[in-house]
Amino acid sequence: MAIRANPKLIDELVPYGAEDVVKCYQCGNCSAVCPFSKQPYVFPRKPMRLLQMGLEEKIKSSIDPWLCYYCGQCSEQCPREAEPGETMMSLRRWLTSRYDWTGISRLFYKSWRFEVGAVILVALATVAGFLAFGFSQGSIHHYDGPHAFLPSPSIHIFDWTLAIVLLALLLSNAARMWWFTMGRDKEVKAPLSAYFTKAYLLPVHFFTQKRYSQCEHKAPWLTHLALMLSYVTMLVLIMFFLRDMAAGPAIDWHVHIFGYLATIGLIGSSILFLRSRITKSSAQYKHSHESDWIFLVLLLTVAATGILQHILHRSGLDMAANIMYVTHLALVVPMLGLEVPFSKWSHLAYRPLAMYFADVRAVALARQGQPESMPEPVGGGLRTA
Amino acid sequence: MRIGVFLCQAGTVPIDTVDLSAVAHYAANLPQVESVRDLGVLPTLDPSALADEISQDRLERIVIAGDSPGFFKPAFTRAMALAGREPNEVRLASFRQHGANTRNSTERAKAIVACAVYGVPFSLAAVPAQTKVHPATLVIGGGIAGIQAALEIADAGKKVYLVERTGTIGGHMAMFDKTFPTLDCAACILTPKMVAVGQHEMIDLMTYSEVESISGTPGAYKATILRNARRVDETSCVACNMCAEVCPVTVPSRFDAGIATRKAIYIPFPQAVPNAYLIDEAACTYVQSNGTKCGACAKKCPKGCIDLDARGDVIQVEVGSVVVATGYDVLDARKIEPYGYGVYPNVLTALEFERLTNASGPTGGKIVTKTKRFNKRTKSDEWVFDPDGPPPSSVAIIHCVGSRDANYNPYCSRVCCMYSLKFAHLVREKLPEARCYEFYIDMRAYGKGYEEFFQRIQDEGTFIVRGRSASVTQRDGQMYLKGEDILHDRVLEFPVDMVLLAVGLVPAEGAEGLAAMLGIPRDEYGWFAEADYNSDPTGTERGAVYVAGASQGPKDIPDTVAQASAAASGILKGIVSGRGVDSLGSLSLEDIEERAKTLVAG
Amino acid sequence: MSAESPRIGVYVCNCGTNIAKVVDCDAVADFASQLPGVVVARSYKYMCSNPGQEMIVQDIQEQQLDRVVVASCSPRMHEPTFRRALQSASLNPYFLEMANIREQVSWVHDDGAIATDKAKALVRAAVNRVTRHEPLESMSVDMCPDTLIIGGGIAGMTAALEFADAGKRAYLVEKLDHLGGNVARVDLTAPYMDAAGDIVADRVRRVIESPNIEVFLNSEVRSLDGFVGNFTAMIHTSEGPAGNGHDVKVRVGNVVVCTGYKEFDATRVTHYGYGKLPNVITSFEFEHMLHEGRIEMKDGRPPQYVAIIHCVGSRSPEFHTYCSRVCCMTALKYAREVKSALPTSYVSDIYIDMHAFGKGMEDFYRRSSEIKTLFLMYKRGDHPVIRKADPGDDCDMLIEVHEQLSGETIEIPADLVILMVGMEAREDSEEVAHLVNISRDKDGWFIESHPKLDPVATTTEGIYIAGACAAPKDIPDTVAQARAAAGRILSKIARGKIEIEAVYAEVDEERCSGCRICNDLCPYVAIEYDPETKRSHVISALCKACGACVAACPSGAIKARHFTDAQIFAEIEGVLA
Repeated sequence: MAIRANPKLIDELVPYGAEDVVKCYQCGNCSAVCPFSKQPYVFPRKPMRLLQMGLEEKIKSSIDPWLCYYCGQCSEQCPREAEPGETMMSLRRWLTSRYDWTGISRLFYKSWRFEVGAVILVALATVAGFLAFGFSQGSIHHYDGPHAFLPSPSIHIFDWTLAIVLLALLLSNAARMWWFTMGRDKEVKAPLSAYFTKAYLLPVHFFTQKRYSQCEHKAPWLTHLALMLSYVTMLVLIMFFLRDMAAGPAIDWHVHIFGYLATIGLIGSSILFLRSRITKSSAQYKHSHESDWIFLVLLLTVAATGILQHILHRSGLDMAANIMYVTHLALVVPMLGLEVPFSKWSHLAYRPLAMYFADVRAVALARQGQPESMPEPVGGGLRTA
Repeated sequence: MRIGVFLCQAGTVPIDTVDLSAVAHYAANLPQVESVRDLGVLPTLDPSALADEISQDRLERIVIAGDSPGFFKPAFTRAMALAGREPNEVRLASFRQHGANTRNSTERAKAIVACAVYGVPFSLAAVPAQTKVHPATLVIGGGIAGIQAALEIADAGKKVYLVERTGTIGGHMAMFDKTFPTLDCAACILTPKMVAVGQHEMIDLMTYSEVESISGTPGAYKATILRNARRVDETSCVACNMCAEVCPVTVPSRFDAGIATRKAIYIPFPQAVPNAYLIDEAACTYVQSNGTKCGACAKKCPKGCIDLDARGDVIQVEVGSVVVATGYDVLDARKIEPYGYGVYPNVLTALEFERLTNASGPTGGKIVTKTKRFNKRTKSDEWVFDPDGPPPSSVAIIHCVGSRDANYNPYCSRVCCMYSLKFAHLVREKLPEARCYEFYIDMRAYGKGYEEFFQRIQDEGTFIVRGRSASVTQRDGQMYLKGEDILHDRVLEFPVDMVLLAVGLVPAEGAEGLAAMLGIPRDEYGWFAEADYNSDPTGTERGAVYVAGASQGPKDIPDTVAQASAAASGILKGIVSGRGVDSLGSLSLEDIEERAKTLVAG
Repeated sequence: MSAESPRIGVYVCNCGTNIAKVVDCDAVADFASQLPGVVVARSYKYMCSNPGQEMIVQDIQEQQLDRVVVASCSPRMHEPTFRRALQSASLNPYFLEMANIREQVSWVHDDGAIATDKAKALVRAAVNRVTRHEPLESMSVDMCPDTLIIGGGIAGMTAALEFADAGKRAYLVEKLDHLGGNVARVDLTAPYMDAAGDIVADRVRRVIESPNIEVFLNSEVRSLDGFVGNFTAMIHTSEGPAGNGHDVKVRVGNVVVCTGYKEFDATRVTHYGYGKLPNVITSFEFEHMLHEGRIEMKDGRPPQYVAIIHCVGSRSPEFHTYCSRVCCMTALKYAREVKSALPTSYVSDIYIDMHAFGKGMEDFYRRSSEIKTLFLMYKRGDHPVIRKADPGDDCDMLIEVHEQLSGETIEIPADLVILMVGMEAREDSEEVAHLVNISRDKDGWFIESHPKLDPVATTTEGIYIAGACAAPKDIPDTVAQARAAAGRILSKIARGKIEIEAVYAEVDEERCSGCRICNDLCPYVAIEYDPETKRSHVISALCKACGACVAACPSGAIKARHFTDAQIFAEIEGVLA
């Protein structure tokens, strides 16, 4: 049965950053230079083709975009300047907006004003909330102790509530992702066992980003890894050691050293990324979607305010520390609350998932007897209809 | 009649060659012009909005002016229809088409607009004065285009000076083995014509020579020609080859595309015209040592026709017309690193393969891979073609090398698809056991009998792979080709013994200088610009100067030959009637305006 | 020179390895040297090359050769070359005989031994034959400076103007009541979007105003007699519908055939529903819409989805195998034009290979994709299928394509479908071919005398072809060819005289019985019957020495020069000996 092509889809993807895909004349150079492009996941050309033709469902059920790390080689060599790398990036943005059932993500990507507005709104709400809470039960002059303005136990509870909400959102989106890419697939039915036997790969991909390391340019991978690890470290510290973090004024090296390292990691890598995007240092940084800027700025400011409030507290300036703390939270909440489930940050969940799914699928494909990955050309060369 | 003039630019960058405001101001003052509007660069036009405007200003004729105004015509035609006006009353004033795309061509642009406003084709109004034409002609370039043009004119009994940069005429065609799609051998059909040129009493053949300067006016040019010293007397040399036997210096042969060697004293190839040796001064020990060393050839020559101290001389000729037939060069494949040309010995360019498979080539036409050999002089290993070398078991041909590529040549080189198919045929014919692959993007088999040839190659069992292969790599001595097999949804990486690069065509070295010397413009890629793409493909901006063949843009042999004869026609009609045509450039705005007015009246 | 004691030189060409790879050329040379009358026999890499020819000349002079045999390629290729060589050695060029050991031996045999024997046999035959050759003198006749041009399209007008500018007379014959041909039906030309109207208007006006050009509208050439330099053409002009036309006789030296092409008849393709589905139209019908500024569906609505289907009738197994060369660029042009006239529409372009090969064309292709034209690739022989859309759809039709680049079978919406109909030979091309005595290829296109190096001349002297009547062509290539033809002719006119082949048939009036069997037999109408003498005689300049009359003559009165019975029998004996 013929699938309906939709010439209008390209227009829909332009706000996601896919304006150059129309230039592509399908030579396949990109798929051949890409280190990850192997059967059965041949990209970027194929996804670009599906996009040109507007085969919406086909794209939705494809995990190819997540297997791309945007090293930019394809874009550098593209004979038509069709920016395959950026197209893959915009497909990831679009898919994110499709996985998200709330529809918020879609609004974010289509209008940066909306996203910025939302961030500010949430930020203000957070400020209001914490100020109210602080004054209601403590004194702005006390960072910790009985009269603490923002006592860490309460913040801890808040963090956990937020985390649970976010996790729920993220998981529900991930579930949709699974359904689109795996669940509803008629041809390849992945056996349940495969999900378990391959489960270990999920953390592996998440923590090591080992595929990324296969790119020719290694620098982006290292920065990316540093950022990711710092983020995770910080997350762990906040979720489980918040009390020790806040405790002071003495520095508890057993805990804080990790905090410092993570902060350096976060600030350093986000600055590096910002610089690359400003100077457009290489292909993958040439095009920056608004969501990229918002995310990096949030990340940098969150890390900066975090460490500042820490320093101020250590230097006994409790009031300043409290104000900075509130500012910090005013940035943390929108960043986590909006970016993680609805925008760029969500890829830290989707990408490892996609690879995990790919590995699971591989098991199924192997059972169905797929050909070896690098075959020879076949005679004639024209597809037999 | 109420006329509206709209300035629209189709290029992505604003026109810098024409002062648009001046043109607009000029247009506004033309009779019957009601409104002049500048719509800027690549405007998105809404026909219905335009229709309202047309009805408002009660416009009856629209003139669209710009670099390529045709791009906007349908919008205006529809607008006219919507406004209930005569849709045919949309006129184009194309700066590009009529040569207002060179430096400060504002005056020309005005004239073009004027003609459109008067509703007269520019080419009809802008007819330069006719001048007396000197009966002699200068043909620059001795390839098939130059040969054809020269013969055409000389057969009419008119004098031709044929100037060729290298030591022989024949050009690239002489290097080819077979010609697509008929597969008759290039030498068999070309050499008779070369011989005819060499023997023609009306052709003054000057090989190993270059045009230094050209002065004068259309119909009466003075050309200064530098005749480099052959150092061998053309007339008395019988090409006995004894000189080359004793010559101690060996250098790569340009005619063999560098895959074979020749001596410092050499004849480009056995059928060269003139059939005489010459000395490569850059390589000759005697010349380089200012006569202190060697000189063996001169001592050996039985006819004593070698004068190692000969100096080149400069001669002047008077000609009425000029044919530019300087042809092309092939793109330097080293630029495209992923294909490893110059790194892996068995990655060859198209020209190298032409010589390899050519019966008169270094292997006598046997297709073999290079073999490693120790060079005693350089004390190093080198890869050379040895007739007894191992034949390749698989050959891959990569199309569009440097063509259709924004990073190199955005244009299509027009001949590569067909010669690549020809290569596939030659490989399969000479090595039936070998596997042969074609990696292509679009198979451009557009000419007479080309599509059928494509079919034939497929039937012969060549693997035709739709995909632009990305890279050639080597692992422990085995080359691997990587590319996407699009029609089968997969990336291929498989071993190959020989890779042929279908390198694109680029303007011949020195084209820029020649263009400046002759005062003819070139297009954005450096090819000589014809006077009018459609109606004058062989004329140029400069009177009595014609372009033919690949120097005007990549072209296959039949199209080149046709252009050469066409150029000859332009020249002959000038000579026969005694009335050539002056340069378009010499026309003043007033002249054109006047003629346009009279044409409207009459 | 007597044939009794001939001094023959035999030259065996290796043609690089074209011959030598199969035939043992040295052995053939040795064998030849043993043949009676052979003074010298050599084998050489390239006989056609300068040194090769010089070798022959040298031998003729030093060894007093009086006859030469060259064993090489087909005489079609190099007979003129070697005849010139003999001439330059002041030997009558007809003392040359060629043995074709390439096309007839090395290219068709693999077994070296057998091939070599065959080559020997052919050489022996040639030697036998050449022994009986006689010196012939080719004659030269005056060249009439006027030219007849058949077809008033862009090619015909361009050629006519070349002659006019040269101050030579041209007769331009056009079937229709106006000049301009197919280009007059076009609005803009790819890739630079120039106005075709200007090109035509410019030429038409020049042609009409030129004192040197006589235009015949509503006319056709009824007959063409004579030979190169001296043709007489009968031009018939029909006065409108009444048809009470009149004939004009003109004398011309050369003829340029510029009859162009006709568009492929879309009704022949059933699968696109042309003629049934209202909004499926041909490219020329779309050109008309562009002229009118009304890109509309039958019901007057502007289409939202426009689909363009390439290669209709071209590159197709059931119709024409060849590519029509211009349709791809025209299709890209349409994509642009639709977007310009209907900015909110969507254009899909359904193609096989995108032939954007010429100057400016690839850029044009790129720009067409930048304006969001959706390119869909189908496979040759696996054409798209059009069906009416369902009521719920936002389009009129749906086109099913087995899209090659995605591997998916898709349906693309369409309100208006443009069929890019290819070019094909005109139905009258056979008549014309017969009229001017030239041949056509399997597709009906006129055949040039050499596909590579002589694209505008034909095998009939004085008859030239230019433009799309020889094969599909775009405007620049057509104009170039038209001028090329003019150039070839001007070159001959300027010389004033032309050489005529010395090989033709002769009637021995003594033995001719005047039965006139030969008269109607001659395909070149070269034989005239003289009622006075009651004898037939051959117009030598017209005769192509085909030999039909020689074979047919009951009283053996006709003899073909250079193909006498003695010569032919000698040749046969040589082969069989």
